[in-house]
Amino acid sequence: MNVLRCLLQLVLYVPLMALVGTLSSKPAFTHVPPEQALVRLSVVHAAQRKVECRTRTQEELAKLSPNMRAAQDCPRERAPLVVELDIDGSLVYRRIAAPAGITKDGAASVYYRMLVPARAHQVAARLRDGPGEGFNFRKDARIELAPGGSLLIDFNAAQGGFLFRN
Amino acid sequence: MRAIQRAGQWVFLRVEAIFNLAFGDRLNPLYYLGPITYLLMWIVVGSGLYVYAFYKTGMAEAYASVEYLTVQQWWLGGVMRSVHRYASDAMALTMVLHLARHWMFDRYRGLRWFSWVSGVAVLWLVYVAGINGYMLPWDKMAQFVVIATAEWLDWLPVFNGTLVRNFILPENLNDRLFSLLSFIHIGVPLAVMALLWIHTQRVPQAKTSPPAPIAITLLAALVVLSLIKPALSQGEANLSHAVTVLDFDWFYLPVYALLYAWGAAPVWLLVAGGTVLLVALPWLPPRRRSAPVEGFHMLVRPDNRIIGVRDGETVLDAGLREGIAFPFECRNGGCGKCKADLAYGKAGLGAYQKSALSDEERAAGKVLLCCASPESDIQIEYLPQKTLGGIPARVWTASVESMEKLSSDVMRVFLKLDGGHRLAFYAGQYINVLLDNGEKRSFSFATAPHVNDRIELQIRRIPGGRFTTHVFERMKPGDPVRFEGPLGSFFLREEGGKPIIFVAGSTGFAPVKSMVEYAFHRNMRRRMILYWGVRSRRDLYLADLPRQWEKEHPEFRFVPVLSDPTPEDAWTGRTGLVHEAILADFPDLAQYQVYACGSVNMVEAAYPAFRTRGLSQDDCFSDAFRLAPKIRTGDTELVKLGGRA
Repeated sequence: MNVLRCLLQLVLYVPLMALVGTLSSKPAFTHVPPEQALVRLSVVHAAQRKVECRTRTQEELAKLSPNMRAAQDCPRERAPLVVELDIDGSLVYRRIAAPAGITKDGAASVYYRMLVPARAHQVAARLRDGPGEGFNFRKDARIELAPGGSLLIDFNAAQGGFLFRN
Repeated sequence: MRAIQRAGQWVFLRVEAIFNLAFGDRLNPLYYLGPITYLLMWIVVGSGLYVYAFYKTGMAEAYASVEYLTVQQWWLGGVMRSVHRYASDAMALTMVLHLARHWMFDRYRGLRWFSWVSGVAVLWLVYVAGINGYMLPWDKMAQFVVIATAEWLDWLPVFNGTLVRNFILPENLNDRLFSLLSFIHIGVPLAVMALLWIHTQRVPQAKTSPPAPIAITLLAALVVLSLIKPALSQGEANLSHAVTVLDFDWFYLPVYALLYAWGAAPVWLLVAGGTVLLVALPWLPPRRRSAPVEGFHMLVRPDNRIIGVRDGETVLDAGLREGIAFPFECRNGGCGKCKADLAYGKAGLGAYQKSALSDEERAAGKVLLCCASPESDIQIEYLPQKTLGGIPARVWTASVESMEKLSSDVMRVFLKLDGGHRLAFYAGQYINVLLDNGEKRSFSFATAPHVNDRIELQIRRIPGGRFTTHVFERMKPGDPVRFEGPLGSFFLREEGGKPIIFVAGSTGFAPVKSMVEYAFHRNMRRRMILYWGVRSRRDLYLADLPRQWEKEHPEFRFVPVLSDPTPEDAWTGRTGLVHEAILADFPDLAQYQVYACGSVNMVEAAYPAFRTRGLSQDDCFSDAFRLAPKIRTGDTELVKLGGRA
């Protein structure tokens, strides 16, 4: 193998390996710009049943076969979840989430992400999980978000509703 | 679409030509994209096993264990990690190039659909494994990749925003996640390897490893790259902070960049639509069906086999599939090793390098088997480099059974194989006698193939010749002889009805004897005329034999020709050069076949003269016809038609 051929191989190999080495890390990808912060809203919640349970009458019970005579009639379908998010007084997200499942008796889920400028924000979250109007869970707080910071708005009814985690 | 493919072919051929200048056509990495992908997979597996030996599958330990390898054990662990990364990246590159080349050169239809579709599956599985690999070091890149993957999958109604909660809530993350990720990172590559094996099943004699020089160079290049630019983690994952700017792997992760630029739905559409399109491509227009549904048929010489060539198959693939020992190397129209004669029919020649098949060769009916596809039933003639008709060439040991001096300078030697073996061969083939110093001497079989319990050689004494002098002066019955054979692609074609003219010069009578006796044995009724050219009457060392054939077989005629008769010969027969006697007797050779067995000079003189008399190139048989240039260089494994010193 002559020197010229070796050099030519080098000329071809070096850019190829440089290509591999470079594209494996460059150019950089900006996921959240440095002057911004990330807000995520994540809710997984089983709403109230759409129709209240009612007590069956004796006549109704008599019509049922003996093994089906449950005193209460509870339709399984749950109400849709209504979630709203305000940032600095503006509604930035609203979603009506249907319950999961064929009979719509599962939990409804909501996930939303957005970028906001890195500074203090007035954040308000509302949720309705039953029939009727109005929201039965609310939380409103002023949150300081640093550059590259993150706010996770979680929901846990047992812990009182919305949890702002940053 | 065709315009894109033509443009792609142009680009590939030009780039490959540049690489040929540097690497030569046998070691051009671009001709081994598939095997290189295999090799890179093994490198990834090997380096990955080393990294895994130190990797700790725990929330608190994962990042630290990878950092230990990268920083404290940089000299091996760090190199292994980097090689693991870069080999994976290179693998993505070679896979995409491999796929692109096959698409550009229209090598994905017909029979190839299976390899194409399984290749697409391999591609996606490699991507799954690669992306999964980025989750393991539990740095910011891992944080980004797990959350982005979950957000992407969460678009699907089946998840609907629930999956991502496993990765954004710290209380949902535990050590078992890392065990799961490790399990996936081992399981998916295992699936890739299984699928790779399946991928190559329909490609006959598919190469799964590149030539050693390419493998070594590639590995060395990866190590050098790893030392110059080690793969590093990007800070420990922290779920309370957003991932801002990342050093991004554009080989594996561009889909994630699109995810945040376009949203999940368009990316799903792109990936799912792209996959469906890729999988469906073999059946989509523009269809180039030129073959009938059952494909074309190909007669392969010298194997004398007729095989089917399926739609979309190259001549090389069809032959290899049927066990034909076609010579080949690069399979990409670059090296020219699979060059052969298209003796009959039409074939699309495909795209190839001019250096592998010149315009002159193309005009003369040569094709590259790896690129050519039949457009009608065809006949291919190639030079076997290993075996003829599946008869393996091997080294034999024999002993001299008897010797008989046929003339002052021609010795008939009968060999008997040790152990009572019998040697199968074609009439016209030859053996190489192996000398103690490693040299070889070639002699044609003078016996016909059906007489295979002994081998007859007719050895002419060459003044000063080492072996022939030994034969005449010292060899005796019982002496051992080692030889290799059978060799050569010069043999009697039994089919066809054209009369045969045998042209024998001196001991070129030996292979003619084998062929004529075999023809009689097979009851061939074709007219045969033997012209045996020698200097003087005493050189017609077995003249009684063809005369006897003449009496017993009306279809056979014998014409001895002396070029330099002596007065004592009292010769009244034909004189002059043997091929000139034929030219005088046959003003038109178009309806004849000619088998020439003699010196290269005789063959070289006769061939053009015969061609001017209408003899078809397809009806000329002699190794010397084709390989005269090689003979002149002495680089030959050819029959030396009666022997040499």
